[in-house]
Amino acid sequence: MNRIIILLSLLINFTDSDNRSDQVITRQGQVSFFSYTSVENIEAKNNQVLSIIDFSRSEIAISMLMNAFVFKKSLMHEHFNESYIESDLYPKATFQGSIIDFDPLAEGIQTKMVKGTLTIRDIAKEVEIKTSIENIDGTYLITGDFEVVVKDFEIKIPPILAPNIAKNISIKFRFEYQPYEK
Amino acid sequence: MSKKNKITCSIITLLLLGGLYIYFEFYNYPRIDIDKVSTEIKTSSKNLTASFIQNEKNANSIYKGKIIEVEGVVKEVSFLNNRNTVILYGDNKYSGVLCDMQSNQMIEIRKLVKGQKIMLKGVCKGFLKDAILLNCMLINQQSNE
Repeated sequence: MNRIIILLSLLINFTDSDNRSDQVITRQGQVSFFSYTSVENIEAKNNQVLSIIDFSRSEIAISMLMNAFVFKKSLMHEHFNESYIESDLYPKATFQGSIIDFDPLAEGIQTKMVKGTLTIRDIAKEVEIKTSIENIDGTYLITGDFEVVVKDFEIKIPPILAPNIAKNISIKFRFEYQPYEK
Repeated sequence: MSKKNKITCSIITLLLLGGLYIYFEFYNYPRIDIDKVSTEIKTSSKNLTASFIQNEKNANSIYKGKIIEVEGVVKEVSFLNNRNTVILYGDNKYSGVLCDMQSNQMIEIRKLVKGQKIMLKGVCKGFLKDAILLNCMLINQQSNE
């Protein structure tokens, strides 16, 4: 909970800051997850992920609504929100971290590590993610993928459904940032 | 097998097949069609964002998961990530209403212009920096202001 308060204050600080030129934002970032097993494959996408980067501090903050993930099948959506993520109790997942050795002025594609804290169901885990950052005339495209271990976030899966859900979930993200003030 | 047993087996088989049919129909049912569900709350984009900014917990208890009709002014139409998104002006400069439109709305959305007053209907999912509505469709479309 403390981490969420810190993240919110970070987002508010970004909002209140006078110097907006150092910040970029996306309100429509995309995060997808995939669970591959021999029984079935499950995929979901969230297209309304909020993220802000503050270049002056090389900091990145991400926040998403867990109930905004869209599944192909309605029952999967229901299981995900009601049984696994418990999105009424834990509505948001957040990430707060730093982009290591990032030069925002460099044009073209840079591959950088992003280190920070991923919080799902109020459980915080330190993660390190390899990302591709493309600077096209001041708009930035950040893409990458990583894995999360279901057990790390204390997600309880009933034994009968255990074969249907992978132990490690693949996460992909794509954030297209614009200057903060439009 | 006696006649009674045959009838029992047939009934059990029919029940099983019926159960499986219902299960798979439900399981494979894709998403909500907003056109077929009735509106629960009517509001404006300014009121909606103001409610979330003032008290997110309270606003969630009113709007989250509900089918809402929102009246507002178009700030932007976006096709990012192959989605059709209409963004409405909110209560302040930094917050608005992010409306992810149903795929059958594409032709109508392309006709929208910035500053146009519209009304749409969707499922409220909550608030980040903007209120987020999914499965949206335009309703009672009005002419440009």
